[in-house]
Amino acid sequence: MNESTVLVIEDDIPVRNLIITTLKTHDYGCLTAADGSEAIMMASSHNPDVVFLDLGLPDMDGIDVIRRIRSWSNMPIIVISARSDDTDKIEALDAGADDYLTKPFSVEELLARLRATVRRLHMMTGGSAADRSVYTNGKLTIDYSAGYAALNGEELKLTPIEYRLLCLLAKNTGKVLTHNYITRNIWGRSWDNDTASLRVYMTMLRKKLDSPPDSPGYIQTHIGIGYRMIKVDES
Amino acid sequence: MGIQSESSEHILVCISPSPSNPKVVSAAARMAEAFQATLTAVYVKPTNYEALPEGDRARLQNNIRFAERNGASVTTIVGDDVPSQVAEYARISDTTKIVVGRSGMKRRHFWSRTPLTEQIILNVPDLDVYIIPDSAVDFSRQKERSRVADSIRPTLRELIVTLLLMAAATLIGLVFLRSGFSEANIITVFILGVLLVSVVTVSPLFGVLGSLAGVLLFNWFFIEPRYSFHTYETEYAVTFAIMLASSLITGTLANRIKQNGRHAAREAFRTKVLLDTNQLLQKAENPEEAIRVTARQIITLLNRDVVIYSRSESGGLGDRAEFGVFRSEPEPAVRDENEREICEWVFANRQSAGAHLERFGKAGAQYHPICLNGCSYGVLVIRLNGGLPDTFENSIMMSILGECALALENLRNAEEKERASVMMRNEQLRANLLRSISHDIRTPLTSVSGNASNLLAHYKQLDDRTLEQIFSDIYDDSEWLIDLVENLLSISRIENGQMELHRSLEVMDDVIEEALKHADREAKRHHISIEPSEEILLVNMDAGLIMQVLINLINNAVKNTPEGSEITVRSGRKGEWAVVSVTDNGPGIPDAIKDQVFEMFFTGRNKVADGRRGLGLGLALCKSIVEAHNGRITLTDNEPTGCRFTVELPVKEVRIDE
Repeated sequence: MNESTVLVIEDDIPVRNLIITTLKTHDYGCLTAADGSEAIMMASSHNPDVVFLDLGLPDMDGIDVIRRIRSWSNMPIIVISARSDDTDKIEALDAGADDYLTKPFSVEELLARLRATVRRLHMMTGGSAADRSVYTNGKLTIDYSAGYAALNGEELKLTPIEYRLLCLLAKNTGKVLTHNYITRNIWGRSWDNDTASLRVYMTMLRKKLDSPPDSPGYIQTHIGIGYRMIKVDES
Repeated sequence: MGIQSESSEHILVCISPSPSNPKVVSAAARMAEAFQATLTAVYVKPTNYEALPEGDRARLQNNIRFAERNGASVTTIVGDDVPSQVAEYARISDTTKIVVGRSGMKRRHFWSRTPLTEQIILNVPDLDVYIIPDSAVDFSRQKERSRVADSIRPTLRELIVTLLLMAAATLIGLVFLRSGFSEANIITVFILGVLLVSVVTVSPLFGVLGSLAGVLLFNWFFIEPRYSFHTYETEYAVTFAIMLASSLITGTLANRIKQNGRHAAREAFRTKVLLDTNQLLQKAENPEEAIRVTARQIITLLNRDVVIYSRSESGGLGDRAEFGVFRSEPEPAVRDENEREICEWVFANRQSAGAHLERFGKAGAQYHPICLNGCSYGVLVIRLNGGLPDTFENSIMMSILGECALALENLRNAEEKERASVMMRNEQLRANLLRSISHDIRTPLTSVSGNASNLLAHYKQLDDRTLEQIFSDIYDDSEWLIDLVENLLSISRIENGQMELHRSLEVMDDVIEEALKHADREAKRHHISIEPSEEILLVNMDAGLIMQVLINLINNAVKNTPEGSEITVRSGRKGEWAVVSVTDNGPGIPDAIKDQVFEMFFTGRNKVADGRRGLGLGLALCKSIVEAHNGRITLTDNEPTGCRFTVELPVKEVRIDE
């Protein structure tokens, strides 16, 4: 049995069955809730490792569930949304969700997101990632105190803004950071021009980081939403 | 004030300071009642209004109040050319009937001018003109005096010209006398001089002055005893009389010719300006352009700054646009504090207001409505900067405003028609779409539900290979349905023929990368490669829709080429455009059907793909998405075989903040 327990909050029975079946076949522990109030109760009483949350619940808005859970816990929340509108996802992410899945999603995608989240959990058990002065992720190392980043042991030549972007993403490894969140952290505001600048800096940073052919792709682009640093498997 | 009814009749009554004017107004009011018509009372205010006798002004105020009490909305126009201005106003305000008092008929200048009523009739031949009997001798005389005085304001320049000409005649006469010519010749020279004076000067006063001077000079210099006004022969009295008469006649004639010439020139100028305006307005494709054209024409005409308020979408007074005369140094704009308030009033009442007019007379500008058929399309504000436009300019301006209103109405009608036809097309599109969807959607659904029911009922009897086949069929069909739903979602965003875009700045290559992730599962049997652009291409786009375009193009290439084909996605920059091309080395598309591939429900031959798999929505959707982004999508041949779809989108230049 996989040691992680997952709370699945979903009112649609076939989809819930699909998720549960998928999780069980991959040895995850499973808890289910069909509405918001039950979900909050389950989350507080069972303290699951990861939460899958459907945004369209019968009794309350999924965003409110995120806010309620975030008021006491940092447990990873992966949002499931049938709405193709990006603003819902952005709202959920800004409310504290870690990741999102859009219906229809494939089983592989679901498992991949879950694995990435669990990996991040393991990394964080050794102490908060943000507190450590040296960050390692695959072949990427960042020495926060020395203001130094290296890939494959070679120093990465980054501009100050690129370095700050890298640090911000690294400190939130595994989380999708929205454009808004990033620009506000880097420039202290979120103007149109900053969003444009962000696209350009991110593209340049990604070229430096992900250009080697063996690169696992550290930074993921979520079109219309934001960026995420992936926790790369050591193996 | 005013009867704001939707009636088609619109009666115009002329107000004057005449004591019998109320009779005319009440006749018009009765008529308005009988016809269920809107009644407008118009007063043409002379530019020398302040010089009118006190009694006239008081009577005028009384008459205006009387008209208001009788349910007329009162409009004041400033100008001296009463008939043409009344006619102009009638034209632009869509008047159907004009009521005037007969007092106007007596208003003749002594050189016999066409009466007012007749001139109005001549100016608006297609309107009914009602003449109400009215006897106001007293008034007409007064009016006549003021008009004569007004048109023949003598100028110093003309006086000098007269004196010079008469002096020249005297000199020539003296030369003739010395040469021993007969007196008759000298008289002829003087008559010629008077004639010239009459021709050259505008005011008839100088013709009279010239002939008097001629007689006196002739008497002084040429008649015995010379150098005195004494005359012995009564014959010369006749000479004086003839000279005076001929000068007056030629003067009048010359004046008339000049007036006609001036009139013709003005008419030509007016025709030209209006024609230009008309042509420019016809070229205008939207209300903003029509308003710009109008403003430009009025600025050319008046050389004054103008402001135009346009009609808002909701039918109220809309945005303000300021148009200035070109100056090397901008003047400080004098703006009425209550400009908007005045405009609201003018817009609602469809009447002019502002400086020198009945309403808001203290304003520094004049406000004119742009209206037609009882519907306001905007308000024109003219900064007067001191002086009023003259009568002639004023009447052209009114015509331009009429043209503008007509153009705006036409544009609005065209827009409404267009909207209706777009709506119909959309309805049709949706109907077609629903029909083909309900047909095409049944097939995969039948397969999914049939397969599932088979599994439920006979799972144990089925062997592993059959099971695997059933599972993979269910998977394929549901994947196809997912694809279809994604496309339908995009289509549902087409509203009123316009695609609603949620734009953001995105890096083109990121979008391509993401699109590839969503491309078909079957794509694994093809070789898909990306050739990214050298520079970072930022495009302001709806990323979801553009991704849909790329997914459709890639899936299209996958479906229409045999397994193992090469598909290349290239991005680059060409001038102001971000160019993405999807190229395959498949069988290509014959020229004959190249034009049709972007049409809705076109499905091609489907040699490779399964017959039922293709709603023919993909490429048509791509086209409407790309065009909604102001971009282009084209299909060309690839060498040696295959085809290339190219999408071009405008690149956004950005300044990068450190």
